[in-house]
Amino acid sequence: MTPSHPVLSARDLRRAYLVAGAPVEAVRGLSLEVQAGEWVAIVGPSGCGKSTLLNLLGAIDRPTSGQLLIRGRDVARMGDVEATRFRLTGIGFVFQRFYLMPTLSAAENVELPMAEAKVPRAVREARARELLTYVGLGGRTDHRPFQLSGGEQQRVAVARALANRPALLLADEPTGELDARTGEEMIALFDRLNRDGTTIVTVTHDEELAQAARRVIHMRDGVIVDDQVRRPLDPAPRSA
Amino acid sequence: MVRWWCTLTGAVILTAPVAHVQAQPARRTIAIDERLATAAGLAVGDSVRLAPTASAPTGAWVGIGAITRRSADPSEIARSDYRVRVHLDQLQGLTGLGDRIGRFAVMTRDGAAGARVRDRVATPDSVSAAINTMAFGFRAYPAAAVAVETSATFRVVNRFHRAIGIITIVASAIFLLCITLLKVDERRREVGALRLIGLSRTTVVRSVMLEASLIALLGSALGAGFGAAASAIVNWYYQGVYATPLRFALVTPGILAIAIGLSVVLGIVSGYLAAQRLVRTAPLELVGR
Repeated sequence: MTPSHPVLSARDLRRAYLVAGAPVEAVRGLSLEVQAGEWVAIVGPSGCGKSTLLNLLGAIDRPTSGQLLIRGRDVARMGDVEATRFRLTGIGFVFQRFYLMPTLSAAENVELPMAEAKVPRAVREARARELLTYVGLGGRTDHRPFQLSGGEQQRVAVARALANRPALLLADEPTGELDARTGEEMIALFDRLNRDGTTIVTVTHDEELAQAARRVIHMRDGVIVDDQVRRPLDPAPRSA
Repeated sequence: MVRWWCTLTGAVILTAPVAHVQAQPARRTIAIDERLATAAGLAVGDSVRLAPTASAPTGAWVGIGAITRRSADPSEIARSDYRVRVHLDQLQGLTGLGDRIGRFAVMTRDGAAGARVRDRVATPDSVSAAINTMAFGFRAYPAAAVAVETSATFRVVNRFHRAIGIITIVASAIFLLCITLLKVDERRREVGALRLIGLSRTTVVRSVMLEASLIALLGSALGAGFGAAASAIVNWYYQGVYATPLRFALVTPGILAIAIGLSVVLGIVSGYLAAQRLVRTAPLELVGR
């Protein structure tokens, strides 16, 4: 993927909820553009609307108004089936609590989105091995989640998120459940992923994670109050 | 010398003659049932003396010609008495009732039935009609009618069992549905995460239904195995207690097919309902956001 190509483009994005019969706007006219190869960290106090924004960017939630294009596709106008398919093939998710299937092995967890996308078995097995090796779990492909540490489970979740080669990797507090050392390992993994060409948007309270990102967006009361580019994009990233 | 009281069941059922065992040459033979043979230690070829009471001084010496096994007749289960088959004249002598016969059975077969009957009959009902026409003072019934009359109690018991079965199935279905709903609901977060990463509603519903039906199939197979084992134990125990070949508990292929089929259908339905409940909830709500 070529740098400086917008993967994500949001224009005047709004999301309102009815609270006790009155509309409350969690995201208020937010505009944002994320280029291919960027690593954006969205930070801000609790309730500032960053998780709502992440849900909108991930086609999990639909904006009340505004336009949201991911890879040129209008996510805001997608129906449930189309949005589900788009989440499967276009976006990778990493959650704070990993959400791995406890009955499946690490490799099977990684294969799950590919199986849903009808990727042939041989291809997805090879891809799962490749991804688990990439995240440093090449020797633990047959382990089940309960046999893995928190950091290892999160690595499996990252591998799963990358399974269908998404245009965008969204991470919601990816270090939130990890201790400091494991959190650092996770930050290093995200850094390597980004250097290899993966576009990442993370929502975090973790200052170290935010500092490691190329770009940091501060939100408050549903709007962006600060947008800093800390590191420019690499000239020729490799694809993860 | 061994003495015992027994019930005679031949053409006529009466109570109280006594058989008296002693080593004497046999003249005529009788048949006794297995239970009596076991209790008295008798075997084919032994001689016994037939007398109307245990203290009677005289009686005809007869040989044990056969030992009979009781038929699988539910109406015989609770009877603890013994069965001895004697000739009609012996029975008349034992009972002292002469020609007074309460009831008797007629079995028709080629060469056995009288020409008049054979010529006039084609079906058991018409045999009965023919006998009723010819014989004075008797009322004849076909064996099927007698069987229906004597099995009326068992039909009621059978209906009672059927009702219990239906209640059990309905209760099990409700229980299974509740358990499935609870177990599937425990996976809210997992299902929510699957939906978030892009697995479709159809995939989730299909997975839950497949799992539920496989569990139901496995459960019904285990249940069938347990039922077969329990049935074998029940039959072994009660056949021993009542000395009868009657099977008290049956696990037939038909029953197995109904049990497994019903179980799988219930599994699929409960899985479907539980899965629908989940996929109709927003993924974010499922993961607790």
